[in-house]
Amino acid sequence: MEYKVEAHRIMSISLGKIYNSRVQRGGIKLHKNLLVSLVLRSARQVYLSDYYAGVCLNAQHIEAKEWELMDADREKLIPASERHVGAEDGRASRLQEKDGDSLDPSDVAVTSPVSPAISETQCGSSDCETDADAAVTEGDSRQPPKDHACSHRKRSAEETGVSETPVKRTKVTPNAIVANNEIEEGEEMDTSNVSNLITIFGSGFSGLLSKDSAKSESETDDSDSGSGQICCEQMLKNLNPWTTAIVAF
Amino acid sequence: SRDFAVGFNFHSHPNSADVISTVEFSQSGEFLATGDKGGRVVIFQREPQGEYNVYSTFQSHDPEFDYLKSLEIEEKINKIRWLPQLHSALFLLTTNDKTIKLWKVSERDKQPEGYNLKDEEGRVKDISKITSLQVPVLRPMDLLVEASPRRVFSNAHAYHINSISINSDCETYLSADDLRINLWNLSITDRSFNIVDLKPDNMEDLTEVITVAEFHPHHCHLLAFSSSTGTTRLCDMRSRALCDQHAKLFEEAVDPASRSFFSELISSVSDVKFSHSGRYLLTRDYLSAKVWDLNMEKKPVETYQVHDYLRSKLCTLYESDCIFDKFECAWNGTDSVIMTGAYNNFFRMFDRASRRDVTLEASREVCKRRAVLRPRRVCIGRKRRESDICVDSLDFRKKVLHTAWHPTDNIIAIAARNNLYIFQDRHSPSGHHGMNVNELDIF
Repeated sequence: MEYKVEAHRIMSISLGKIYNSRVQRGGIKLHKNLLVSLVLRSARQVYLSDYYAGVCLNAQHIEAKEWELMDADREKLIPASERHVGAEDGRASRLQEKDGDSLDPSDVAVTSPVSPAISETQCGSSDCETDADAAVTEGDSRQPPKDHACSHRKRSAEETGVSETPVKRTKVTPNAIVANNEIEEGEEMDTSNVSNLITIFGSGFSGLLSKDSAKSESETDDSDSGSGQICCEQMLKNLNPWTTAIVAF
Repeated sequence: SRDFAVGFNFHSHPNSADVISTVEFSQSGEFLATGDKGGRVVIFQREPQGEYNVYSTFQSHDPEFDYLKSLEIEEKINKIRWLPQLHSALFLLTTNDKTIKLWKVSERDKQPEGYNLKDEEGRVKDISKITSLQVPVLRPMDLLVEASPRRVFSNAHAYHINSISINSDCETYLSADDLRINLWNLSITDRSFNIVDLKPDNMEDLTEVITVAEFHPHHCHLLAFSSSTGTTRLCDMRSRALCDQHAKLFEEAVDPASRSFFSELISSVSDVKFSHSGRYLLTRDYLSAKVWDLNMEKKPVETYQVHDYLRSKLCTLYESDCIFDKFECAWNGTDSVIMTGAYNNFFRMFDRASRRDVTLEASREVCKRRAVLRPRRVCIGRKRRESDICVDSLDFRKKVLHTAWHPTDNIIAIAARNNLYIFQDRHSPSGHHGMNVNELDIF
């Protein structure tokens, strides 16, 4: 559990650094921002890989195409109901089946080796909260998973997620760009993706925290979104104040 | 028994608010230059007795504002490199994030007197009052050291310049930013050749940046550059004009068991130095220093743990931004000892042959003139002796990022914030026998 909190904390810290770099004297430091984005990606993979590998009971079917958080076309997540301890391989193949062409092979690489490492699952309200948090962080979950596996999965998740996954670039889709008039364009110091990352995370977190927040774009049923919202609010209140700081922008 | 013995010389930078950002000995070692965050350069000269005193101070770079990009350009001096001294004048390259300058530092000890058309203060004389002509003569004056910018190399870097390195041919030099390395002729300021370009077509695909670049000390066609991914490449300019394809790639496989959120981050190379012999490369990453044989790319021949006790504290160091600190490293004149800085104003030396190492501290409390530096030790658990310091007591605001070793002698310059410490080995100042590192605790 702690690692999930730690991963989330590291993500928050990283976003804060990326934001601060924009107002630093001397302009955005490409090297530092690249390193921060790598840490962000690692933390995110750990955080989310646990979610995907989690054993959750969920009636809803949600499809996930990619892991790219910045993708503005909100994807549906893998249905929690499909994630069962005994069905890891099945899940892996199911991942490939659904929208196989749009799934990164790395997604499968991350999830499937993780699952055999699961020996038991834990289920509790705290798990529910963090999974809900993960779900909402992804930006488009409707269902907070009810179960997820225990902490030893962290190592395997990290090993596979971090070592195998190829570079998860900070992809930017045009319609996700919110406010980047102050970003230099063109050949010179092309750092627009950094700012977009902030805006996207910002909207994600603000969606997280505001009561009347939209579920992400359309295509969703609202069934458990309310409870998911409350869960993650409770979770976030205990977390690093950076999350609220980022939302303020 | 002999302790590690050093003499001591200490200078504080003119403006105490300005942190020293680079330190470099001249090629003969007679001069030492420091640059600071305020854009100032201070040059020290070695006196006959052995001490270094201020020789010249000048403002090298000023803050600039790029109105087109709404970007402020810091005046901080990132690097200084000396040209070999050919005659009485000194030449050095200084650079900030965007602009490189070639400075000439020369002495003037005579001035002309007896002008016809102007008086002593330089005011124009009334011509009608001049009744006779005189020939101006040169009269001795107090020594004046003047610095003047002879060349300004600008507008060649879209990203922040991190390195400059003068070629052994003494005619060309390279400048490197995050993504590109350019080759210049020292006499030509309006053009440079791009020899390495890591910029991807789509910036979203960016995976690595250049962190340091350096020319080989003897082979004018070879250069090395390191990256944020922990690799160091050796490039041969003879094989192709654009050196994106490396001749050699020095990279050590990472132990998967030690992976963490910060694995990639701590593998980023913060400094690269060729040995004086040109046979080895010294690289520094966050926790270690590695010596590579140019003939072996797979792994380093030696690895030195600088402060491995920080490995369990990476998250905290990430939060405080300390994990981004870029430590430099240095060889001694005979390539038998390497040196690098750490936190708490500590710096470390490693003797390559004996594998002994020492931790020393650069601080005003500890150092008095002519004092002997006592080895320090960082302990994880209980202190075993008085001079020990616990990991948790380390002051991470005090960092020795910039260190330099005299090209031939056992004289080292350590920059700690705005203070410059110059240490000399009292027992073997000429450096023939290497540093004496008896009675050390291997940490």
